Amino acid sequence: MVAQGIRIEGLKKRYGSGDTAVDALKGVDMQVEPGEVVGLVGPSGSGKSTLLKCLGAVIDPTAGRMTLGDAVIYDQGWKARDLRALRRDKIGFVFQAPYLIPFLDVTDNVALLPMLAGRPNAESRSRALELLTALDVQHRAKAMPAQLSGGEQQRVAIARGLVNHPPVILADEPTAPLDSVRALAVIRILGDMARRYQTAIIVVTHDEKIIPTFKRVYHIRDGVTHEEAGEGRSFD
Amino acid sequence: MISLAGRDILHAWGKFVFTGIGLGLLIGVTLVMAGVYRGMIDDAMVLLDNSGADLWVVQKDTQGPYAESSSLYDDTWRGVAVMPGVASATDITYLTMQVRATNHGEPRDVRAMVVGIAPDGPGSAGWPPYLVAGRQITRSHYEAVADIASGFKLGDTLQIRRNRYTVVGLTRRMVSSNGDPMVFIPLKDAQQAQFLKDNEAILQQRRRTAGNPAFNRPGVPGLLDAVIASQSVNNYVNAVLVRIKPGYTADEVAAPIRRWKRLTVFTRAQMQDILVNKLIATASRQIGMFMVILAIVSAAIVAFIIYTLTMDKIREIAVLKLIGTRNRTIAAMIMQQALALGLIGFAVGKITATFAAPLFPKFVLLMPGDSIAGFFAVMVICALASMVAIRMALKVDPAEAIGG
Amino acid sequence: MRFFAINRRTLLLLAVLAPLLLLLGYVALRTGPLAAVPVTVTRVENRSIRPALFGIGTVQARYDFSIGPTVSGRVLRVNVHVGDTVKAGQVLGAMDPVDLDQRIQAQQAAIGSAEAQLRQALTQRDFASSQLARYARLLPTHVISEEVVATRRQDLQVAEDGERAARNALRGARATLAALEAQRGNLDLIAPVHGLITARDADPGTTVVAGAPVIEMIDPNSFWIDTRFDQLSATGLAAAQPASIVLRSRANQPYAGEVLRVDPLADSVTEETLAKIRFKHLPQPLPPIGELADVTVTLPALPARPTVPNASLQRVDGKLGGWRVEGDKLQFVAVKVLGSDLNGQVQVDGLKAGERVVLYSQRTLGAHSNISVVDHIPGVSP
Repeated sequence: MVAQGIRIEGLKKRYGSGDTAVDALKGVDMQVEPGEVVGLVGPSGSGKSTLLKCLGAVIDPTAGRMTLGDAVIYDQGWKARDLRALRRDKIGFVFQAPYLIPFLDVTDNVALLPMLAGRPNAESRSRALELLTALDVQHRAKAMPAQLSGGEQQRVAIARGLVNHPPVILADEPTAPLDSVRALAVIRILGDMARRYQTAIIVVTHDEKIIPTFKRVYHIRDGVTHEEAGEGRSFD
Repeated sequence: MISLAGRDILHAWGKFVFTGIGLGLLIGVTLVMAGVYRGMIDDAMVLLDNSGADLWVVQKDTQGPYAESSSLYDDTWRGVAVMPGVASATDITYLTMQVRATNHGEPRDVRAMVVGIAPDGPGSAGWPPYLVAGRQITRSHYEAVADIASGFKLGDTLQIRRNRYTVVGLTRRMVSSNGDPMVFIPLKDAQQAQFLKDNEAILQQRRRTAGNPAFNRPGVPGLLDAVIASQSVNNYVNAVLVRIKPGYTADEVAAPIRRWKRLTVFTRAQMQDILVNKLIATASRQIGMFMVILAIVSAAIVAFIIYTLTMDKIREIAVLKLIGTRNRTIAAMIMQQALALGLIGFAVGKITATFAAPLFPKFVLLMPGDSIAGFFAVMVICALASMVAIRMALKVDPAEAIGG
Repeated sequence: MRFFAINRRTLLLLAVLAPLLLLLGYVALRTGPLAAVPVTVTRVENRSIRPALFGIGTVQARYDFSIGPTVSGRVLRVNVHVGDTVKAGQVLGAMDPVDLDQRIQAQQAAIGSAEAQLRQALTQRDFASSQLARYARLLPTHVISEEVVATRRQDLQVAEDGERAARNALRGARATLAALEAQRGNLDLIAPVHGLITARDADPGTTVVAGAPVIEMIDPNSFWIDTRFDQLSATGLAAAQPASIVLRSRANQPYAGEVLRVDPLADSVTEETLAKIRFKHLPQPLPPIGELADVTVTLPALPARPTVPNASLQRVDGKLGGWRVEGDKLQFVAVKVLGSDLNGQVQVDGLKAGERVVLYSQRTLGAHSNISVVDHIPGVSP
């Protein structure tokens, strides 16, 4: 997978029209390099969910430009033809809750995407196992999601997000339900994954426990971001 | 490739199988209803087939002998037998009445159609075409052949009016159009049973006749006895069954009988029309309507079940969509589950129907054609029901998976 | 392509679904119209059968007599009751003579009168005869005239005629008396034979017309069963064949009998042949007249020929025959019936001994029916 990174310029999103229009994003600029983990911090209502949805190609921005590596995926309109393929192949998601498919075992939950894409089952599963090992949950490979602890489930969810080796991973409050030990562990894992697979990871959070770990943090308020250098604290 | 539908079924197999069984019972009831309907029609057809007749000659302007009462003199057959194209003409009587068995345990009263058959021997019109036990009637009085649906066994003694009959043979599927079992007895005995009254009534009639001065003239000894004797005579039958010689058509043979003998003649097609369209029309329409209602209810329940199964998974479906699963894949999962449910339901339904059918008091006919049509109907209903669920699933906004 | 993980759960699911599929298969193939028809078969055997004819009859007396007056009158006396045994010539009763006795007396008186008249005529004749003789002796003496003699001769003739008339009158009166006495005798009701009184139709005091019966009686030695055989099952009925008689009130006690005669006049309305069956030994006590009886006449045995039970015979396409079983296949064989007995055994022409034919079947058979031979039809417990 060629390292790509993501760049956003002047992204705007307006809900509604006329008098009742709401500008959730008023011109956002962001850039994340491959291998980087940046934080996206802001209070609720600041537009960070909207930004995430735009980045995830789940909603249509109103204006702006998004580039993934060399490919322009949005420039005043979607340039990528198949949004679902975009989400499947280029963007990985990690949610607040693991949202694992309850009727698939752990390995199949992770291997699902490549299998659906047509990859041979054996190859998909071995790739899944690789990731599970990297995340230290390989001993649960055959278990069903209901049998895992919260932390294990979250790690499986991360593995799922990584399985297609997407250039970008969007993590939405991945540590919200976790205690500080586990939360830092998750952030450490994300950092490892980012470095290993040269993925650009954007972590949306307002968890005070983990914000100090980011090297760069984007603050978003009233639809506009500004960058700050983070503390970049690492935890061993 | 992975089968999402299969995995889901495996994971929640208990729920699935139970749902399938519940659905199956509903389908089974619908199939049995169809069987009841077919059974009623079959009762009518079997009645016509087993009589072994090509034409039915009855009293003029009646719809007899099954749909309406018809009385002919019992020598009418002689005039019919010599008409062109007639291979044989045989008297027959039908009377639905209570028959009492007086052997083998407590006395039992059974509602049966008593058929009086002319002593022409096995293979004649009106005789049971085949037996399942015993033998055909050989004596001209006091023997009977009964259908097993009546519950009578070989050697039982039956009481019909004044006489006792020994059951010498058993038949199967010899029933009236109502489903009443048939009991075959010799014609003369049946004529007596049908037209001769019981002892009380006969005594009353004799008294009245003796009191009538026109019949009891002192100057004419023997007149009273002659009149009473004529009142005790019973020379009527209900119909004449006609078999046609090869090379003649039914209408060809029926037309001259109608014209010259001043009788009403029905061909097989006309009898079928009378029985199916007139006699059992109301009952069969009733059942048909009920069956349609059942089918609609089944369809609605199937749709509801599939909708619920899908809605239970709506969160997972949103996640799948978000992580990039094709709509096609999600739709296929829902459709496959619906069809699998339909398959299990149909299997359970067909098996239930087959084992439940013999338990019904009247004949239930499960035809393969109905089962196959039912199978396709179930599959189509499941597919259509899944469309609704699929629409709901595809309308889900993947953004809901991402919290606010 | 691995569809399902082979684990406990899969096995459980299979354990539930597999029987379902098996049941479905069973149901589809073994029940309903696609399934094979269970039949039982029997072997055709060479057997000799004794055909028999069955009829029902009533006990009757061959001779029964209705005894009554030849003129209308009133019944005076009935001496017997129903059930009495009487001898030939016994007086059973009498009609009221009304004025007959008086007329007889009158006639006897008339006879007395006629006799007196005759005596008178005789006396007159004798006198006239003796007178003629006297005058005839006197004629040659010419004392009297010829005319006187002639007159005496005429007197004699008149007296002789008178005597003849009186004699005839007497004979007539006597004949009339005899007639009246015969009539008188006629008023007695006499038993013509030894017999049994079966009915008292009129009690003393009843007026009856001429010919109406007052007493009915039978000759019990002439009991027979007036039997009716359906014409279709009367083949071979002839006099002197042995018969078994079962009276309705004595169902367990068959009596031996024989056919006395087959009536030349059959009943064309009821299509029955009439025959009279005689008891070999009269049953004691005597059965009442009119009691119903079942009569079975045994015909001479037929030689051994291929025989099948009558349940095997069916009519297909207008022909009577049986379904011959060859391995798994059915073939309809038309037959001719040569004879049958009352137990349902039928001798046929068209099948050979040793062949197997269908006896009972669960459904109607056709040439292409798929059959399975069983020991007894399922669902039927004889």
